[in-house]
Amino acid sequence: MVSEAAGVSAVRGDPGANGIPEAWIEIRDLGKHFSGEVALRDVDMGVVRGEVHGLVGANGAGKSTLIRCLAGVTVPDEGKILVAGEELRLGSPQASERAGLAFIHQELNLVPHFSALQNMLLGAPKATRLGLIDWKRSSRPARAAAERVGIKFPLDAKVSDLSVGERWLVMISKALVREASLIAMDEPTAALSGPESEQLFSIIRDLAASGVAILYVSHRLDEVLDLCDRITVFRDGQVVDRAARGSLDKRGLIRAIVGHDVKGAEGRRRIQPDRSSVPLFSARDVARGPAVKGVSFDVYRGEILALGGLVGSGRTEVARLAFGVDRLQRGHFEMNGKRLTIGSESEAIELGVVLVPEERRSQGLLLEQSVAFNINIASLQSLRVVDILPFLSSRKMRSQAHRLIRDLGVKTPSPSTKVASLSGGNQQKSMIARWLRPNTKLLILDEPSRGVDIGAREEIHETLRKLALSGVGVIVISSDVEELAILADRVVVMREGHVVGELAGDAITEARIVEMSYHEVDPQGERT
Amino acid sequence: MTSAAQGAKAKMPELDSGRRRRAALTFISRYGTIIGLLAMICFFAINAPGTFLSRANFLNILSQASLTAIISAGLTFTLVVGEFDLSIGNVASFIGLVVAGLMAKEHLPIPLAVALALLVGIVIGLVNGFLVTKVRINAVIATIGVGTMLTGLGFSYSAFPIAIGIPRAFTEISLGRALFGVPNPVFIMAALLIVMWTILNKTDLGQRMQAVGSNIEAARLSGIRVDRTKMFAFATAGFCAALTGVLLTSLLGSGTLAAADGYLLDAFAAVFLGSATLREGQFHIAGTLIGVLILAVGFNGLSIFGAPTYFQPIFKGGVLVLAVGLSSLARRYASAS
Repeated sequence: MVSEAAGVSAVRGDPGANGIPEAWIEIRDLGKHFSGEVALRDVDMGVVRGEVHGLVGANGAGKSTLIRCLAGVTVPDEGKILVAGEELRLGSPQASERAGLAFIHQELNLVPHFSALQNMLLGAPKATRLGLIDWKRSSRPARAAAERVGIKFPLDAKVSDLSVGERWLVMISKALVREASLIAMDEPTAALSGPESEQLFSIIRDLAASGVAILYVSHRLDEVLDLCDRITVFRDGQVVDRAARGSLDKRGLIRAIVGHDVKGAEGRRRIQPDRSSVPLFSARDVARGPAVKGVSFDVYRGEILALGGLVGSGRTEVARLAFGVDRLQRGHFEMNGKRLTIGSESEAIELGVVLVPEERRSQGLLLEQSVAFNINIASLQSLRVVDILPFLSSRKMRSQAHRLIRDLGVKTPSPSTKVASLSGGNQQKSMIARWLRPNTKLLILDEPSRGVDIGAREEIHETLRKLALSGVGVIVISSDVEELAILADRVVVMREGHVVGELAGDAITEARIVEMSYHEVDPQGERT
Repeated sequence: MTSAAQGAKAKMPELDSGRRRRAALTFISRYGTIIGLLAMICFFAINAPGTFLSRANFLNILSQASLTAIISAGLTFTLVVGEFDLSIGNVASFIGLVVAGLMAKEHLPIPLAVALALLVGIVIGLVNGFLVTKVRINAVIATIGVGTMLTGLGFSYSAFPIAIGIPRAFTEISLGRALFGVPNPVFIMAALLIVMWTILNKTDLGQRMQAVGSNIEAARLSGIRVDRTKMFAFATAGFCAALTGVLLTSLLGSGTLAAADGYLLDAFAAVFLGSATLREGQFHIAGTLIGVLILAVGFNGLSIFGAPTYFQPIFKGGVLVLAVGLSSLARRYASAS
């Protein structure tokens, strides 16, 4: 506690004796191997108080391992970490917390049925009176922290009633209650809406200005470039580039991450469907609850249709209706002009409509099962020895898994490897592989590249284009506007449960999609 | 690249101790139970070679194990789909009474009485499944409730053991030795375990059960009819419990209230021991069999060495705690690796 208080005075990268800002956290020669594979090698980096420090790299590049080492969850094989010149005891989460390091993971470790206040104070020392907790006195630091991050909602609100954005504010306050001097954030904006992200950015800037160091891990490169004072790029467990603000543009950053150039939206030919033909799949005024208020659109054979819009605009809900997860309250779906009744997921699959859900780990993967198991689970009927008997052919199962692993470029040591041990991108490829059945006519993907590194994203896009070329209809839902602009042949933009417009051909630009997504919510919504 | 590889190699010795410990833990979490079983057999064989190491005693162990194995196999299915069935002991007791009554009181022929009894077992399982999947009652509560009601029903049917009027041919089902002098229940167990192993590992149904157990939401979104899959598992548990009850009545020559209640704990101990075997925390038939054998060999050894009776529940409870502990450790290592 004493050393921390001393540290606070050394605000905002105070130049050291030789004019170079003295690092608050110094990482020296950090190395880590997992079962023979290099996760981190010779990593040297420093984090200065008051800076926003971006960590970027493909999945498996070493960012998470580094964060885990800092958090004391993973013990590095070599190297050391210094906090304010003192060596940090490695492999001890308690030591990391005492040193003022706080970590906010995507899953946000909050207790849902506790209030925001209780969550902020969880595990923090509390003031007592006659042996009982004195909530009034204990909550003072939490209230101060809440004010600092601009929390507007009452602190006795249950966390389960809060939006994801509000939960982030609770997590940040929790870190501030512990007087954290470094807050590491993992993919903060992955589940946030545009305005929520903006609010988070301004909080991050304020925190940095008051001397807190922020480690910002994200795949969203525009954000990183916009927000971070310095960026460290990881590839294959090593630091491959360091850049100060302004010294690197997006293209350069991508090149550093991937190791080569990646082609963007330029010069891509968008497929123009034959509008006179019967659409493959149509939504006709479908509605359910407050989320979907009468949505109509068509998907033509061989095209990639994007559903754009903000988180909460009703896109995911439309996908769930089409896949039979939820029941329609009004309207209907059509396939090849014929009216459908989709009563359950299995009926949808029978009709050839399939969904790769938004939450890969909780809704998609059977984590304790193998890659082959995960790929084969939706097409077991076709893997029988004889059609009429329920016995499975191990030969057919093996060969289908092998073929799909190869076709989609799933990088896995073997088909029997547990799917949980693959990177996000390869897990997502396994999910898509599951649905590459001959019967599949319409593939819906909800946030296909969330938590997927840029190289794998490119490969997934390639797969989707090939699928579309083969005559399958593809619907992509993504909050990543850049992804929509790169991938879509046509974009249907939703806002507050309605379709507000459609873009095709050269009209598809990031700016235009964003503008349509925000229009009424925020008149000056045009972000660049 | 080559220099890096050499660098990695040079660092190998430092890493080795950690990795070796890891490998050892993985080994223990996979083969610990089997090693324990073998160790127990060796211990008894060395210390009581005459009594333990005889063909008669081995057949005795197998025959005792067979009823436990049958009821445990059913429980395994419910655990595979991520549910519980605490009614199996009560179901076995109830069916044991029912099958005796059908023959002694209703004078039904043996095959019909047995078939009806097994059918009732399946129906009870389906009721459990219905309460859990459709009414959405927590499986622990639903099956305790159903089990308790069955105890009452059994009591109302016959408060006294039904022994008179049970045909000799019926007791021959359990007491007979059809081949090589091996008791019939051992063959019945073997046949049932083979069928259930095949269902779990070699059919689409079995794959779907495993999928439902590992992530119900993902299973549903893969088009699996989750409720139906769970109902099947509960029905199987009911069937297996009923079969155990029938065989027990045949073995005892009477249908007695609460005769099979004690199988519940044995089954749980066996299944959890089994889940810590070979597959790191997953429930499976072969593991369950190993678990059952550990219990049977243990009991057998205890009685050979003349351990006092009060030692049996101590052993049983100890094994249960140890088994669940091992199983959750195994799962933790599986998720860490």
